[in-house]
Amino acid sequence: MTIVREASRRRFLRTLGAGGALGLVGQWNALNAFAQEPTAPHDLPNFTGPGANPYWNSVGPLVTEPQKSPLILLTDRPVQLETPRHYFLNTFTPNDAFYVRWHLETIPNSVDLKEWRLHVEGNVRKPLALGLNDLVTQFKTSSIAAVNQCSGNSRSRLQPRVPGGQWGNGAMGNALWTGVKLREILNAAALKSGSLQLQFEGLDRGKGPEGFGSNRFMKSLDLTDPVLDETLVAYSMNGEPLPMLNGFPVRLVVPGYFATYWVKSLSWIRVLDKPDENFWMKTAYRIPDTPGGSTTPDDVKAGKVKTVPIAKMPVRSFLISPDGSSKLPSEVPVLLQGIAFSGYGGIAKAEVSIDDGATWRTARLGEDTGKFSFRTWELSWIPQKPGKHTVAVRATDGEGHIQKDEAVWNPGGYLWNRIERQEIVVGPAG
Amino acid sequence: MVTAICAFFASAALYAQFNAGFYALEVSGSIRQTMPRAAGVGASYETAAYPLYRTELAAGDGEQEISSYCNTCHSPRYITMQPPLPSDTWAAEVNKMIKAYGASIPDDSTQKIIQYLQSHYTPETRKK
Repeated sequence: MTIVREASRRRFLRTLGAGGALGLVGQWNALNAFAQEPTAPHDLPNFTGPGANPYWNSVGPLVTEPQKSPLILLTDRPVQLETPRHYFLNTFTPNDAFYVRWHLETIPNSVDLKEWRLHVEGNVRKPLALGLNDLVTQFKTSSIAAVNQCSGNSRSRLQPRVPGGQWGNGAMGNALWTGVKLREILNAAALKSGSLQLQFEGLDRGKGPEGFGSNRFMKSLDLTDPVLDETLVAYSMNGEPLPMLNGFPVRLVVPGYFATYWVKSLSWIRVLDKPDENFWMKTAYRIPDTPGGSTTPDDVKAGKVKTVPIAKMPVRSFLISPDGSSKLPSEVPVLLQGIAFSGYGGIAKAEVSIDDGATWRTARLGEDTGKFSFRTWELSWIPQKPGKHTVAVRATDGEGHIQKDEAVWNPGGYLWNRIERQEIVVGPAG
Repeated sequence: MVTAICAFFASAALYAQFNAGFYALEVSGSIRQTMPRAAGVGASYETAAYPLYRTELAAGDGEQEISSYCNTCHSPRYITMQPPLPSDTWAAEVNKMIKAYGASIPDDSTQKIIQYLQSHYTPETRKK
């Protein structure tokens, strides 16, 4: 009789509590901090919309892909994978967690470095065909910390929703890239006069017909663009070779610019003497030529929107922890942590609001690893009042741009950088 | 008997503070780990094949045309990933695949594909 099994005892107590047969025990159960019995967890929905995606990440399942930790699946062919939120607690995003976005389905499964060459051709006096060993041994080594963010990162926030990769916030990552400065390679190739643009192409190919964007993916930069002075041909990412899905053996690193220019498995640099009119420059990855790149569906329909190629990344900031999945007890200090970045001169300030943007406190910035890198921030918060709190974060970049509380909309679903919010539930501590 | 009553009340006091011991059958599935890849010492750098994940498309007229034509360039996840889109947006998307991306789809199949997407993937029609 003294040996009563825990489970049956609990069941008995719950029965009493539920039936109210014994008033005293019923009261105790009512006081129970976990009055509701835990049920099985629910999966996220298969899709979000037509409203905005309310989750930090996109809603796809976690999957394993070669050289990767489980990432969030957007699409399997071509491969598009999103990085889960918690990886952004750190300045540098691990290679095995770095997001993936390919445009065309025929992507490398293997590269034979005996055969592979980076070709520099077109309007040059000395065409080059460089092996990886040539890049490593014949040129000066350079490194830069830089954020790679998909143009369509956070596309699932837009209202009305637009078709395309329905990314949450995880189509971004930061790495320390090491390789050769593009300028060094261009100098070796000796550009001829009349050169206008550089066109970049990788090993990826598509099943679409020749002459269409579904067949080849190419991006170009103007030779007058100052970003070329910072641009790197990188063979190392966070001190390791690039994962195949992130562009092994080398990829272009265009600091401050959206990832569309960061051509993966880069194998051709073509010096052009006239503007590149291929689909990926002339039609895709273009933004309205308006302040903030925003427009309206009506203006698009009316054909009023003039567009320009997307380029620099506007300032953004994120709360990474706490992520809202746990209730916080009041009076217990909690460290609010996150990251900020901008394509415009690094991060000058990160501010946090715990009252939905009414008042702001300045967060402490983490180590400065360069103006194109993630900048971590943190702020200690002691939740005073039980209830629902809306935490908001905004950053100011080196050129003085401050994140706004305005939704961005354009038909491509690019440039989203509205102030992010997170609801945090606080309960009494006693 | 007294011992049993004491044990009962001690237990009641303990479990007034918390719930414990609840388990439920998993709902989200688990992910198997993959074998480390054995690499040769030559100059070829390889990965495993990229996995294709089963995508459940809504059953209906036009499904066959989707797999005949759309699957050439991308898997059907490109459809299920989208939010519910208005009918005219789906028509514009299919026409974009033909005009901007050069998809070669006969007219009657184009109409079937558009109707299929409108029948299953608009705010009014999307079920899962």
